[in-house]
Amino acid sequence: MTGFTGFLVKRILQAVVVLFLVSIIVFVLLHLLPGGPARAILGPKGTPQQIEHFNHQQGYDRSLPTQYLMYLKRLLTGDLGESFKLNSPVLDLLRQRLPKTLLLTVLSTVLAVVIAVPLGLLQAVRRGKASDYALTGLTFLLYATPVFFLGLIMIILFAQVMPILPAEAPQGETIADLLGDVTGLILPVVTMAFGIIAMFSRYMRSAVLDNLTEEYVRTAMAKGQSSRRIMGRHVLRNALIPLATLLGLYLPTLFSGALVVESMFNYPGMGLLFWNAAQGSDFPVLLGVTLVVGVATVVGSLLTDILYAVLDPRIRSVA
Amino acid sequence: MTADNTTDKTGPHGEGPLLTIEDLRVDIASRERTVHALDGVSLSLAPGEALGIVGESGSGKTMTALSVLGLLPPGGEITGGRVLFDGRDLAAAPAPVLQDVRGDTIGMVFQDPLTSLNPTMTIGAQVAEPLLLHRPGIGRKEAWSRAEEMLRLVGMPQPAERMKVYPHQLSGGMRQRVAIAMALVCEPKLLIADEPTTALDVTTQHQILELVDDLRSRLGMALILVTHDLGVIAHRVDRVAVMYAGKVAEQASVRDLFERPRHRYTEALFSALPERAAAGAELHTIPGLPPGLVTRPTGCRFAPRCAFATDECRAGEPPLTDAGEPSAEHRFACFHPVPDEAASDEDVVRPAPALPAAAPGDVLLELDALVKEFPLKGGAFARSRGTVSAVGGVSLTIRRGETFGMVGESGCGKTTLGRIVAGLEEPTAGAVRFEGADPSRMSRAERRAHRRRVQLMFQDSTAAMDPRMRVGEILREPLVIQGVGDRTEQEERVAGLLDAVGLPRGAVHRYPHEFSGGQRQRLGLARALTLSPDLVVADEPVSALDVSVQAQILNLMRELQRERGLTYLFISHDLAVVRHLADTVGVMYLGRLVEAGPAEQVYARPLHPYTRGLLDTVNLPVVAAEGTAKPGPSPLKGETPSAARPPSGCRFRTRCPLAQDVCATTEPEVSTPNGGAHQVACHFPSASPRLASSV
Repeated sequence: MTGFTGFLVKRILQAVVVLFLVSIIVFVLLHLLPGGPARAILGPKGTPQQIEHFNHQQGYDRSLPTQYLMYLKRLLTGDLGESFKLNSPVLDLLRQRLPKTLLLTVLSTVLAVVIAVPLGLLQAVRRGKASDYALTGLTFLLYATPVFFLGLIMIILFAQVMPILPAEAPQGETIADLLGDVTGLILPVVTMAFGIIAMFSRYMRSAVLDNLTEEYVRTAMAKGQSSRRIMGRHVLRNALIPLATLLGLYLPTLFSGALVVESMFNYPGMGLLFWNAAQGSDFPVLLGVTLVVGVATVVGSLLTDILYAVLDPRIRSVA
Repeated sequence: MTADNTTDKTGPHGEGPLLTIEDLRVDIASRERTVHALDGVSLSLAPGEALGIVGESGSGKTMTALSVLGLLPPGGEITGGRVLFDGRDLAAAPAPVLQDVRGDTIGMVFQDPLTSLNPTMTIGAQVAEPLLLHRPGIGRKEAWSRAEEMLRLVGMPQPAERMKVYPHQLSGGMRQRVAIAMALVCEPKLLIADEPTTALDVTTQHQILELVDDLRSRLGMALILVTHDLGVIAHRVDRVAVMYAGKVAEQASVRDLFERPRHRYTEALFSALPERAAAGAELHTIPGLPPGLVTRPTGCRFAPRCAFATDECRAGEPPLTDAGEPSAEHRFACFHPVPDEAASDEDVVRPAPALPAAAPGDVLLELDALVKEFPLKGGAFARSRGTVSAVGGVSLTIRRGETFGMVGESGCGKTTLGRIVAGLEEPTAGAVRFEGADPSRMSRAERRAHRRRVQLMFQDSTAAMDPRMRVGEILREPLVIQGVGDRTEQEERVAGLLDAVGLPRGAVHRYPHEFSGGQRQRLGLARALTLSPDLVVADEPVSALDVSVQAQILNLMRELQRERGLTYLFISHDLAVVRHLADTVGVMYLGRLVEAGPAEQVYARPLHPYTRGLLDTVNLPVVAAEGTAKPGPSPLKGETPSAARPPSGCRFRTRCPLAQDVCATTEPEVSTPNGGAHQVACHFPSASPRLASSV
């Protein structure tokens, strides 16, 4: 096995180990619930008989290792349990909701990167000038503003004061349904993108500034390159390397950011599912989503490594 | 502003100079202050001519070079004067005009090849870039084939394959070849090289200078070579300008300058060179430091450090004149120049007087077949992939009170050896015996006590000190750790140390970054001496310093050695410095000690072909006699192989001119063909002495 593929296989094996650990943590969480899951589901009015029956039915009266093995076995066969509130297998729910959250996350990330990279470049070029200070102030403000507040302002501005966009996300069953109603996507996507733009443009600005003091930039100038082409040809790629790390590590955070945005715009994604499940103590759903976020974290860091290798030949050739 | 009229012989496109710098003034502004980096510099350069600009750090030599192309660092600005190139004033030219000139008619090579190439672009793309920029007529394909041709011209092996690799896959010397290829691919009329070999090893340095020389005559271009190294300048240029504190102090043909320096600064600079001092003698030093240039000094800028300064020097600035020189080319700015006839013979290299056989003390340190291997790991991707053989079986003896100079190029293992001696690394095999005892077999307490007897001095003493600790704490810390004395005693001891290294006692309240380079090395030495060690391992202690400051530190080290009976393991790549200081010399190559012996013997009658090659490679700061050729081709070809796969048998055989089959199969035994303590590990040690050697 050579170089990069070998590395990938190794990283995927590592990811499996991490996911195994995640499953243990999720399992332990399940058993830390006060009064156990039965009490949580049947509520304070559940009789001892009901609880005992429920525990026996779910296998909760067996030893913990046995239970864990059962849990793992079900996990491997794709059985994540059943939602108590929605009376539907968790897997089906996730299958339905996850793509929508992915759509929201990907759209807002792409939008954010497309805006943040040139913005950071611009700030770096105009370092210390009025426009840099203005943009710095603006991005800090955005960075410090909670998503729910930002979302509220967006709704007030664009759905009420100037009613040009719907305040609610499209409610379709499939991705195609969602995309069929693009105007409904604008507010949630833009709201979510704002926070990411704020962070990424700060990173981009400092990465570009770091690179501008590098000697290879002076070499490029000595060749007669214009500053514009030095930015495009030389600095950009080098400055994107630290951004790649950020992107991968930020992925799980984006998932949780989606939670607020989704519940705000009633966007039918995983976040909203989680939100509703949390309010109704629908533990199998909560745990299922937690597992997915765990997977996202692992995938995110794997993605970072791959992006790294694509951007930086020094890392590629170590393989 | 009074423009210097002598340079007015320029016609825009006439036969006159290619480049004329007139009364150039450059300010560099930072947040706190503005430095007047250049203050009225005038120079000129004929087509095809090679001009050297020498000076110590802060003299303005690099700023002069950078302002020609408008590449001043942030905050830098040309505030006056003109830079006439091909009839155009580049100092006043708008960006597009400068961009046309850069990389096309003027090429530039920078100091550090490790950082001056773009890490994420292929070599080919970087070399072809100027062509695509300046020759819009030619296509990408043509540009690539020309770039490849250029790589071949700069001596890059397998240029076609190298076009596709990234800078990190090449060695430092090869990267500098790439940088030269980039600068020359458009066949400029002028090449500006700013310290192009300072970051390279001696043998590589020689190869690169050779290459620049060769390409210059082949392409018929002019050259500005900026360097602090008088040895480099002596052999590679026609004319030299000596800069001091933002001004030209003296300019002359290279022969005139080296044989009859007139400015007192030039004279002082030459006499501070260890190459020019008799071995064992005290070096001439220039007291003090160059001025900071935040305010314009009145009078001659060298006056505060000059032994010949009078009130006249302190009151008025001496003009650059040719005062009675036979050649109008020789000009200097000094009121009390070196008398015309003097200088020459008196200061030039004398053969070292035979050293009074240093009373051989008892053996202090013994290394017995010392081996150090590091596992080779490849970052995130890897498991261990073999080992790097940093030290491959070194045995040597250091006697009390002597200076053992360890010489070698980067990667030869000399630093690792020093770290093992200082107890910072554990050897993989072999033994260290300090007064007969092996530290690795000592008990914890014994070892702790032993540590104070061996101390380290570093190349960059600031980096080796906690930036948030005051000097007083830094110097006291070893005493606190070892529990020596109470606070008052410790402070007294620190004060005594500061006296000894020539720093004011008030220094204890200051932080390391507040000191100049030379002062930091004094601090480094003081820190090493805090615990009154027997042995000081000094790893390149003067290689970051300017010549005049270097002489101060070397003298100080020698003086303290006499006073305190210190033993030094002095590690350096600089053969002249080692020769000056060392009683015994060891030469390392790729982890092996190839030769060792009394300094004067090793330098006069080197036995190992590597030692011989190193000595022949050194650029002496002496101009060759009239009629003799420039230094010959590099005696050492190629590059040091990787220590991860050292050659079998003799590790030097891949670069050795004398290599035979036996060298690949059998590791050479240590022998002493010259008798005495002069050892060599070679199958074919050389018998003849070196001729007219002076390093």
